[in-house]
Amino acid sequence: MEYNGGSVVAMVGKDCVAIACDLRLGNQALGVSSNFPKIFPITDRIYLGMSGLATDLETLRERFRFRVNMYTIKEEREIEPQTFAHLVSSTLYEHRFGPYFIEPVIAGLSKTPSGDLKPFIAAADLIGCLNFAKDFVVSGTASAKIYGLAEALWEPDLEPEDLFETISQTLMNAVDRDAFSGWGCLVHVLTKDKVITRTLKSRMD
Amino acid sequence: MANANGGAYSYSLTVFSPSGKLVQIEHALAAVAQGTTSLGIKASNGIVIATEKKASSILVDDSMLDKVAVVCPNIGIVYSGMGPDFRVLIGKARKSAQAYWKMYGEYPPTRVLTQELAAVMQQATQSGGVRPYGVSLLVAGWDITRGPTLHQVDPSGSFWAWKASAIGKNMVNAKTFLEKRYNDDISLEDAIHTALLTLKEGFEGQMTEKTIEIGIITVPSAGELEEEKPGERPKPTFRKLSEEEVRDYLAL
Amino acid sequence: MEILSYLNACGGHRLLTRIPPSFDMSVPSVHLASGFDFSNQIRNNFLAERGIPLPKATSTGTTIVGCLFKDGIVLGADTRATEGDIVADKNCEKIHYITENIRCCGAGTAADTEFTTAMISSNMELHALWTGRKPRVVTAMTMLKQTLFKYQGQIGAALVLGGVDSAGPHLFTIHPHGSTDKLPFVTMGSGSLAAMAVFESGWKPNMDRAEALQLVKDAIFAGIFNDLGSGSNVDACIITATSTEMLRNVEMPNQRAEKENKYEFKRGTTAWKKEEVRSLITSEQVTLIGVGDESMDTS
Repeated sequence: MEYNGGSVVAMVGKDCVAIACDLRLGNQALGVSSNFPKIFPITDRIYLGMSGLATDLETLRERFRFRVNMYTIKEEREIEPQTFAHLVSSTLYEHRFGPYFIEPVIAGLSKTPSGDLKPFIAAADLIGCLNFAKDFVVSGTASAKIYGLAEALWEPDLEPEDLFETISQTLMNAVDRDAFSGWGCLVHVLTKDKVITRTLKSRMD
Repeated sequence: MANANGGAYSYSLTVFSPSGKLVQIEHALAAVAQGTTSLGIKASNGIVIATEKKASSILVDDSMLDKVAVVCPNIGIVYSGMGPDFRVLIGKARKSAQAYWKMYGEYPPTRVLTQELAAVMQQATQSGGVRPYGVSLLVAGWDITRGPTLHQVDPSGSFWAWKASAIGKNMVNAKTFLEKRYNDDISLEDAIHTALLTLKEGFEGQMTEKTIEIGIITVPSAGELEEEKPGERPKPTFRKLSEEEVRDYLAL
Repeated sequence: MEILSYLNACGGHRLLTRIPPSFDMSVPSVHLASGFDFSNQIRNNFLAERGIPLPKATSTGTTIVGCLFKDGIVLGADTRATEGDIVADKNCEKIHYITENIRCCGAGTAADTEFTTAMISSNMELHALWTGRKPRVVTAMTMLKQTLFKYQGQIGAALVLGGVDSAGPHLFTIHPHGSTDKLPFVTMGSGSLAAMAVFESGWKPNMDRAEALQLVKDAIFAGIFNDLGSGSNVDACIITATSTEMLRNVEMPNQRAEKENKYEFKRGTTAWKKEEVRSLITSEQVTLIGVGDESMDTS
């Protein structure tokens, strides 16, 4: 976890979700890149964030891209966030005795039977134990700090713009106290009709 | 290929005859056509699959005969043709459904499971040392994306979706009958009666709860889908009718 | 006609990955062999030698209990999951579904309890379909102990299995190495001592439903309040010959107090350098061709 550093957080809002990460890639204490995003779109309505060993992050990203494309072709439908979360979980558990050093965070909007879109977040440990929280999920080297901030700052039913402020402040203030995370932040806010992506102005030390 | 029994091309399965046929597949279809009739009807609010089951002798303990099988809580299958082949296929279908569940945390949609079964059956038409499966299947299932769907799979591995179909001994007559009777907004109750009426055509002997087997798909209501209880499983959408239920339908 | 739409692009770096055998298209996936993939182990051992340790997995410190009463079994669990000294999940579910009449509480490595019980549940369903009978608790117990024994304790699942079948109510504990016990009242997990103290002093034969549920709640409370690996709420499950009742969060003694202040930030607090908005609405512009005099020749 500390080898490359990095942190991810996701939060639920009112009919929206947000997921954010820092942009640092390190080689232990040495900073290597300040433009290393850890969140990727899976479908229009699912974003996957991963923190941990960068090489595994790349491997898993390609693996999940392959798996989701195969699913979409075979089933002629888009994968739902819950289903994708289970796919992530079972892929990680398959490597129970030789795991990928990755803690994934999933944020998305899932379709309800009546056709509405409902916020969905989930996180897993490195061997795929899912955590479906109702408020927020975290992972990475700054996770302990993010937990503390999110616990204090998060409120239920935040509008997209307010959720953006809350998640940004949570992540930024946490990674500023984490030597292994930081060097810029990236925030995605998913709403019913659009995805807002913002690169934050932050400390670069 | 002038020979009526297929001549030189009838044994080696993986070789096409000059006319472009795989004769063993046609023989497999003949085996299906000897099997007892099965049928499926898709209704507006569900699906019924039904079959006649006949014991070869009155001495057979018919409580052990099962022709309608549950694959997973949302999918059921009925067959015409060779029983033992069906039992192998149903085993594979159930395993496939469970493998899907372990991967995705939900049971497979009807079409995915049908595809999987069709792939198994196709494989037997171009592998060495095996023969095709001597069964046709009617797969009835419900899933959130496509709702209730009814598929037929043949020994060649080809499959289609149907509104209503019949397989087995009396399939031609049964299909003609269904074509006349079918309409798009038939209810499940009516479909069950139509299924029994269709089976009655050309039924040898007495139709009783011992000689008829029925399975139904019921479409869950929006309310039922919405409420999800922690630690509980969703209610199954496919179930076999009990002998008492079949008796009640026959009495009507 | 001009159509504007967004395609889902996930471009960027490309990396060659091994195509997993499960996607060899020539073989139908029903023949898929399941099991673990050890391919990362050599790499991970190398990393460990270089001083990069394995990150911690979520574990359920846990108090889980089960007790026999007049009409069946009551199972109980707390709802805390920990990752080292961090509470990773404040309200997780530790009573897992095996079949309609059998449930299983899990303690230990959270992923192991989750996946082992899911696998056994799956096998039990297949078994029930094949045999055409209602599944038995001993069957689940045997499957579990054989799986755990096969992995020589490497699968860190400590379980309390309970249910009612044709042979009556049964209650087992299963240890990570595969040993089992059959007792009228059992506890497991880091809070097992606290919970057992309650059972030892309070359990008696032929309790009624309410008494048994209260005893289970008290045992879990003992874990929640005295064991730091256990916490939050109480889940319970009452299984009798005729019904299974899952009581999720029957007791919630650790509700978060109302926050005195709201820390909502004024919009515009966070400065950003770049914004990108991806609209998910497909807009179409339709240009009509041949309107007016030169109407389309449709003859």
